[in-house]
Amino acid sequence: MIALPGLNLTSAPAEPLNLPAAAATRIQDLAANTEYRFEVSFGRALTIRLLSGTAEFFGTELGPSATYTFQGTKGSVFTWHGCKLEIGGQAESEYVAEETQMMSYVNAHFAVESLRGRSAATGEAGPGVLVVGPNSSGKTALVRILMSYAVKSGRQPMAVNLDPKEGMLSVPGSFSAVAFSSIVDIEDGWGSSPISGPSPIPVKMPLVYHYGLANPEEGKIFKPLVTRMALAVTSRLEEDHASRQAGFIIDSSGLIAQGKSGVYDNIEHIISEFSVNILFVLGSERLYSDLTRKYSNRPGEEPVSVIRLDKSGGCVDRSEEYMKQLRQAQIRSYFFGHGTDAALAPSSQMADFDDLNIFKISEGQENDSFRPGNDGDDGYGASNGIYEKETPSSLIQNSLLAITTAAANDRPDVIRDSSVRGYIYVADVDEVKKKVKLLSPQPGHTPPNALVFGSFPEDVPALVS
Amino acid sequence: MSLPSVEVAADFKDALQDLKQNNRPEISNLTIIAKENTEHAQAISVELENHIRTTRPEWKLPALYVLDSIVKNVGTPYTVYLGRNLYRTFMDAYTLMDQGTRKAMEGLLRTWKQPVPESMEARPVFSPDVTRDIENALNKYSKLAMQHGLPARPVSNPAWRNTPTPPQNITRYAAPNDPRVRQPFPPTQQYGHFPATPPTQYPSMQPYPQPVSSSHLEDLKAEVAKLIATTQNAFASNLADVSLRTKLQALLDLQKILNTQTLPPQQLEAVRKQVQALAPSTPYPNFVPSVPIQPPQQPLPMFPPAGAPVNIAQLLANAGIPAPPSSTPVAPTPSLADMLRRVSSPAQPSSTPTPNLPFFLPGFSAPPAIPTSVPAAVPASAPAQTGTPTANLAQLLSQFGKPIAAPALVTAPQQPNSLPQLLAQSPSAPTIGSADWLINALKGVPASTTPSSSTPFPSASMARQLSAPINIQAEVELTTASMKKPRLHLISKLYEAIPNICATCGRRFENTPEGKQKKARHMDWHFKVKDPDAAKRGVHRSWYISEKEWIDYREVDETSPEQTSNGAIGSSAAVKKQAKDKYVPVPQDPTLLHAPCPICQEKFDPRWLVEANDFVWMDATKVGGKIYHATCWEEYSKGAGIPTPSTPDSVLGKRKAEVSTPASAKKVRAY
Repeated sequence: MIALPGLNLTSAPAEPLNLPAAAATRIQDLAANTEYRFEVSFGRALTIRLLSGTAEFFGTELGPSATYTFQGTKGSVFTWHGCKLEIGGQAESEYVAEETQMMSYVNAHFAVESLRGRSAATGEAGPGVLVVGPNSSGKTALVRILMSYAVKSGRQPMAVNLDPKEGMLSVPGSFSAVAFSSIVDIEDGWGSSPISGPSPIPVKMPLVYHYGLANPEEGKIFKPLVTRMALAVTSRLEEDHASRQAGFIIDSSGLIAQGKSGVYDNIEHIISEFSVNILFVLGSERLYSDLTRKYSNRPGEEPVSVIRLDKSGGCVDRSEEYMKQLRQAQIRSYFFGHGTDAALAPSSQMADFDDLNIFKISEGQENDSFRPGNDGDDGYGASNGIYEKETPSSLIQNSLLAITTAAANDRPDVIRDSSVRGYIYVADVDEVKKKVKLLSPQPGHTPPNALVFGSFPEDVPALVS
Repeated sequence: MSLPSVEVAADFKDALQDLKQNNRPEISNLTIIAKENTEHAQAISVELENHIRTTRPEWKLPALYVLDSIVKNVGTPYTVYLGRNLYRTFMDAYTLMDQGTRKAMEGLLRTWKQPVPESMEARPVFSPDVTRDIENALNKYSKLAMQHGLPARPVSNPAWRNTPTPPQNITRYAAPNDPRVRQPFPPTQQYGHFPATPPTQYPSMQPYPQPVSSSHLEDLKAEVAKLIATTQNAFASNLADVSLRTKLQALLDLQKILNTQTLPPQQLEAVRKQVQALAPSTPYPNFVPSVPIQPPQQPLPMFPPAGAPVNIAQLLANAGIPAPPSSTPVAPTPSLADMLRRVSSPAQPSSTPTPNLPFFLPGFSAPPAIPTSVPAAVPASAPAQTGTPTANLAQLLSQFGKPIAAPALVTAPQQPNSLPQLLAQSPSAPTIGSADWLINALKGVPASTTPSSSTPFPSASMARQLSAPINIQAEVELTTASMKKPRLHLISKLYEAIPNICATCGRRFENTPEGKQKKARHMDWHFKVKDPDAAKRGVHRSWYISEKEWIDYREVDETSPEQTSNGAIGSSAAVKKQAKDKYVPVPQDPTLLHAPCPICQEKFDPRWLVEANDFVWMDATKVGGKIYHATCWEEYSKGAGIPTPSTPDSVLGKRKAEVSTPASAKKVRAY
């Protein structure tokens, strides 16, 4: 495996857009308790600047003298006190909504916050929150709002993302956990994981696992990964007092909220593994009623408060096309950074086939047929079916490989349970010369660790041109 | 915004109900509500007055602060509406407060006599007519308190406090170093004979004439004093415990009885037994040395004034939950009441000057002329719960009232006019001085005026109150229905409570010295990371940290004082500069830039170094126009006998032994 200094492809212009020098800006007045909702496509940019009053973007307050640029974003700027915004650029759609769910979300925050206060006083564990709901019901938005408010209240809460559709401080298909002590970024989703230089936004230090599939209901590694993650988070919270008091907030996938005939196996698994004690159900009445029934009357067990919150009117169904673009943007920003100012320089490398130990995640359906009855918890130890060793081929071209902390000869369940150091992108596979061109986030060796390859996120063509 | 007054007032009232401590955001929020609804000022004022009148005594002061904040920040029309009844609002509350709170209230009153600070307005907050009446009333009280010989200021050590009635001339167990304690003995004796430490004090007291079984009495008093001290300690560590508070109160009262009344020897003996039963661990002759000395930092008001009948129900509810953290049992309030009934009913009202207490003024400091009147002849409730002895003690105590008649005690005749009036507000107020009144008053004691709990209240700053809330009230219940209730007043916790906003990123900081420091560091950080050249230097994404590192990792806020950066490792810990801490700036020369270390053939990792304010190669050293890994070079040069340039004292040669401090957000190697 040689790194070829000459073959430096970092110049890939990741951001094809040239921001038109926001020629025409307009003023948008917002009355108190209203929000400005907007959708911006990936090719365009919308700038928002707060002129007076206060405003917040998913709970994070806009700085009075900052101009925020949004690309490929569906978001909203809410104001408690009324504000005046200066808006530049073009939005796909934009309108002012007077009916928002912010009151109930802020109530949710203060309800959780009082538990944090209690935890600070008594020393017991802080609140464990899980947000569930169907797709596009505003789960991630709620988690962001709750996180932002908690950070603003001087807490250091832990955010846990168990939704593979969108990454949190990482690429899609990953699960991550991170304690927030600094503000949640406005422009760049959750902010940025550490980079080698200074970052204008305080970086967050996530723990990342690779899930590698789109649907948590498929395959057999969701539960073990949740268990593993819960273990790590619980261990951290044992010692980390600031985070312990503040507790954690888990974002989940909409797919686990569908359930099978009223049984929500994965939700229950998350609740029991993380010792969740507050369950916010967004939108779905049925889910709420099923979960209330399940958790309302369990004598002798830790009580779980099930609370329904209304879905915000601002939640829009995000098309698969948009989601795909969003995922690609996330992956791009992992390697190249977000926006124009924080451009990162990944490094291009060549590697021999033999240097790469790639394990492909077996899809769930196949395994079920192979190993009938070997599902659920039994699958933990019998891990033969988790991975298949994959020889590099054009199949893996344009895909992401997760660099695990496990060695190549580790048992499959060890590989499965190991966290991720980062991702490399397979730019090209030369089957004749048995060479692979890789894009690595940083120069130096690609570690000889086990690399995991899953069907999700899908291929990202032309990440390196 | 044309809500009817009723609705606005109801909202305001709801918000007021939540105000249970001196909480600045809540107070400012209430002020804002008042400010935004001046058209409903009358309704709001009435609501506020009602709240101050009816809420529990310990919540009155915060409510008064709301009043204060409104009149100062909003002014008219609130000053008009609130001014009308200010006398009553103020004095009603004043009479129910303990000394510390009263002091705080007097402070408030003082500011009301002056114009609002930093305002253009030259007139005082409230018109002098309003404040003058209150002042006069307060002066009357202070006079009264003087006549009754009530102590002026909290005595730092109630365990040694003494309040004898001169005719009995009982030796007191006095704090020798507390000049405020009234002494019937000549001061020279007091200070000449008594050593400064309590333990030795006791024997030296023996020679003094004792009317009745003095040694027993002294023993008993000391025993009680010790119990008080223990209870105080327990209470100090658990201020919220109402039962402890009650117990402490009862013990203090018992001490008073012992100090002021002459009891028949057999009664004393019986009481002594009871008290000893409470503290069986200490043998009777040796108790004195074991008396814990009160830490000076918890000054306790000496005479807790009586509370008002209004609060009895609440107090009972509180006191009814005995949760004694200490070994000594606690009397439930009802038995205290029973005992009180027995004690006080046969006694002349004049012997129990409790009614005076509400008028006792903390600011008053002249030594009392007639040290006769003791606030309350109250039995100790503490022993009452020990089980079998309960009845005995109760009986004993019931006799306390009889033998005493403190001469020439003046109470009822000298009541200021407002007292009857005040009491009349409470529908069930019994006749002053009657047993029931006393009982009620005493029942009011635990919650409104505990010695210990009162001290932090006026003295603690708002910030302290905020940072160390003892009782966190769940303001928002965790139910689906509760989520929909609008609670706009809470929003201020996210905005007004943290007013100091960073213009760059919108992060907010508290308006406290600490908050300002944090903001300063935060701004420094903004400055530090603003590097226009960063993009040109090949910054790259770092690897994520491993599970183990993550579990041990602690977030480092950019506002925390120890800005742990990469450089901190070298500067703080290593006096000896280690090879791996050496660095060279990333060279501009392209050949050098791409050249690996000539020894190990590995490339260098550029990385941002805060110290150097530049991108550097760590663990690198430049020798003869080439850049080597410092550790490689060191190993090599040691073998070859070539002196290492610049820093010769490095010996640790473990190559690439990176110190991964979890705090530093630096690159972590994947292998």
